[in-house]
Amino acid sequence: MTEETSNPIREAIKSAIDENPVLLFMKGTPEAPGCGFSARVSAILESLDQPFAAVDILPDPRIRQELSALSNWPTIPQLFVDGELVGGCDIVSEMYQSGELQQALGLEGSADEADQEPEAETVQSAPLSIENRL
Amino acid sequence: MTTTPQELKDRIEASIPGARAEVTGDGRHFNAIVSAPAFRGMSRIAQHRLIYDVFGTDVGEDIHALSIQTMPSEEP
Repeated sequence: MTEETSNPIREAIKSAIDENPVLLFMKGTPEAPGCGFSARVSAILESLDQPFAAVDILPDPRIRQELSALSNWPTIPQLFVDGELVGGCDIVSEMYQSGELQQALGLEGSADEADQEPEAETVQSAPLSIENRL
Repeated sequence: MTTTPQELKDRIEASIPGARAEVTGDGRHFNAIVSAPAFRGMSRIAQHRLIYDVFGTDVGEDIHALSIQTMPSEEP
């Protein structure tokens, strides 16, 4: 184990997870995903009209290293809800199909509200650029 | 050196007691369907971690992508 007391990338990742109720670490952005798995999770959240924050891990390889070390999860994407890792593409897809994801997001009633206007901007711009904090 | 689906299957079944795995893949991207008694009572996250742990840092390297589906099975 290396010294982790002063690790700005890890600290930035931690605060992003703490500060954003629904946070997706992905390759690329929701608008321009860099990988099919990231694209799928991002599309699922958008289809639920779920606002979420997204962090692109591609700009600096250390983001992914630190994230995986922190979450004990080797792959990208990673979806966090209320500070907890929900899963990657497989788990999120499975949970979406079974309705568990909607439950975890507190959206159970959303099927009844299908006629609500979905036009609102649902994707927040990236709340942080971890690479800029170095 | 390429990795074969059979190799992944063998590693999963050797590492997780009682596990049965079906693995398909093209040498870089793999799909694994795994059942094991150990999964019972575990969250999905924990079940998938158990499988990722079999491969350690190979995931993301030789194993570019590993799609996992898990299901608990009865004790053999």
